[in-house]
Amino acid sequence: MRTHFIWLVAWKELISTWRDKRTLQSTILTPMIMIPFFIIGLPLLLGSLIGGQQLEKQKVGVIGLERIPAGLKAALEGDKKQNGTVISRGVTLEKYSGDPQKAVQDGTLEAVLELPAVLPSTAGGAPVSIKVYAKLSSLRGQTGATSKVQEAIRAYSDTLVKARLERSGLPSQTLTPIVAQSVDASTTEERRSGQLAFIIPLFIMQFILAGGMPTAIDSTAGEKERGTLEVLLVSPVGRLEVVLGKFMAVTIFALLTALASMVGLLLSSMLAGVILPAVLGSGREGSSALAQAFGGNLTLDVPTFFTLLAVALSVALVVSVLMVAICVYARSFKEAQGYLTPLLIVVSLTAVLLQFSDFLNAGAAFYAIPILGAELAILDVVKGRLELGNIAISVVSNILASFVFLAWALNSFKRESVIFRS
Amino acid sequence: MLQISELSKVYNTPKSAKGAARGKSEPTHKALEPLTLNVTGGQVYGLLGPNGAGKTTLLRCLSTLLTPSSGTARVGGFDIGQEPEKVRQILGVVNGGMGLYDRLTGREILEYFAGFYGMERSKVQSRILELDSLLELGDALVKRTMDHSTGMKQKIVIARAVIHDPRVLILDEAASGLDILARRALLDFVKSYKAQDRLVLYSTHVMDEIEEVSERAAILYKGRLLEEGTLEDIRARAGEKRLENAFFELVKAEEGRLVAS
Repeated sequence: MRTHFIWLVAWKELISTWRDKRTLQSTILTPMIMIPFFIIGLPLLLGSLIGGQQLEKQKVGVIGLERIPAGLKAALEGDKKQNGTVISRGVTLEKYSGDPQKAVQDGTLEAVLELPAVLPSTAGGAPVSIKVYAKLSSLRGQTGATSKVQEAIRAYSDTLVKARLERSGLPSQTLTPIVAQSVDASTTEERRSGQLAFIIPLFIMQFILAGGMPTAIDSTAGEKERGTLEVLLVSPVGRLEVVLGKFMAVTIFALLTALASMVGLLLSSMLAGVILPAVLGSGREGSSALAQAFGGNLTLDVPTFFTLLAVALSVALVVSVLMVAICVYARSFKEAQGYLTPLLIVVSLTAVLLQFSDFLNAGAAFYAIPILGAELAILDVVKGRLELGNIAISVVSNILASFVFLAWALNSFKRESVIFRS
Repeated sequence: MLQISELSKVYNTPKSAKGAARGKSEPTHKALEPLTLNVTGGQVYGLLGPNGAGKTTLLRCLSTLLTPSSGTARVGGFDIGQEPEKVRQILGVVNGGMGLYDRLTGREILEYFAGFYGMERSKVQSRILELDSLLELGDALVKRTMDHSTGMKQKIVIARAVIHDPRVLILDEAASGLDILARRALLDFVKSYKAQDRLVLYSTHVMDEIEEVSERAAILYKGRLLEEGTLEDIRARAGEKRLENAFFELVKAEEGRLVAS
């Protein structure tokens, strides 16, 4: 085996791919933009929308406004403040007498309250209900008028109960003799990684696949389609050297993408700690939870970063050689894309299913499954459940699988029925 | 220069694309029946036959891309089965298409292929200069091939095939799709290349091309060698003045033989 031949084959593939601007975009720019966008941009965007709803004064219609108790009116219209700053504004009440559903549906009013004939101003007696018409499935409604109205009614109800208890000489705690106090037993990393931490392995897998795919297709099916593979194989270069050269080029681009996604993750981790608390962490209600949900409090220290990188590299190896082995069967670029689609689906689906990994007692056997083991390992690293044994198993299984797929690819390159398939 | 001995090729015809991908096949198609042929150097040897005659199969066997089902051949003294790499070292191939790497310049493509023949850097550069003056490569060397005209592409394809100055040059339907100027340039180059005891195997289904560049030819039809010799002999044996008519006569006789058998 002549290493300079392998390098030569790889060089041609690398330079060809490098000169394709679309590839550069998907290889380097996309991961470096998408990951920070997801971790920082999305919470900022959603936070801004939710915060905007909190600070907006929505119009709420009231059927029977003349009967509304002063306390409830004050609870609905009053602003909520924290340290002297308004964090949630009240709603504007309007007298309404038409069809409440229609008013909400056509957007004239954000919500409509239908007060009963008699609304108690003190607790006791038969309970009454206030109908709240609102778009319950709408995020805008949930984070705006609906939540404000429901919270105001609950607060007013609590005030009545408290007043009744006090008149009876009972403390307000009478109704809650036992309170469950939850203590979060998650690790710091688990809390910081957020409920959507499973997205990170999904991103890394997707970017590795996207990074290696153009080179994998172009260097195999693309060469066949152009008729250059035959010319290459007529030169003194050996089939093993051709396969290794192509494999090397695909792996380099997959690694480059993996590295870019790692850098994107590292940058997000550094910036999110500063930006999100400053913008969302104080003031607007509910917004800071967003940062947490999206992994905005994620921190990556140096050992974690390099562990993630090692796992990503092993994935890049196995995925690259698998793509070369698959694509060589295809007669054209288009056909190769079709062949790779199931691989994309399987990898994405397993990564998506990771959100249910808490239900899975993932023993060493799971980590030994190529690609899936790596996805589990990445999730562990992100959640701070890093176990070197499992990481090692996933890396080794990926490397072993790479050799198996390499043998498959080599066998395919030697078969006339594959090379000259028409 | 070329000794072919009882070489045959039977394709394992795939039942379907899926079957081919899984390697499932059934041996049905005889692409080339046992063929024996000796060709000396210093000439352009024509390989004539319609599509499906077995020309490409024969050339792919000779260039070690396909393994013969039986028999063997020696190219430049090297056995295609025993010494495939040595065969490829002395071989240059221009196949039907004008496949090039779009995002590489002509020079980069020539340097890339030269690398596989162990040529030194200075030797590669002097050879490119030589081919530049011979084929008038000009802009084709510096432009990426995606920006090449058909003629420019064809020149780079030829230069690529002869960058290592091969002793045996195979051209398989090399003129197909070329405009009149590019075709003329190709035929002129082919005629000039046979000097210094080099062999050019020129495969085509176009009789005029063979008549222009070759002195000897073999006619293949449905995997069988129908006739071999000088063009003059072939015409004389068929009793025709034109090679095309001689070809039709030979094919007609063969069809009659096939029906009778």
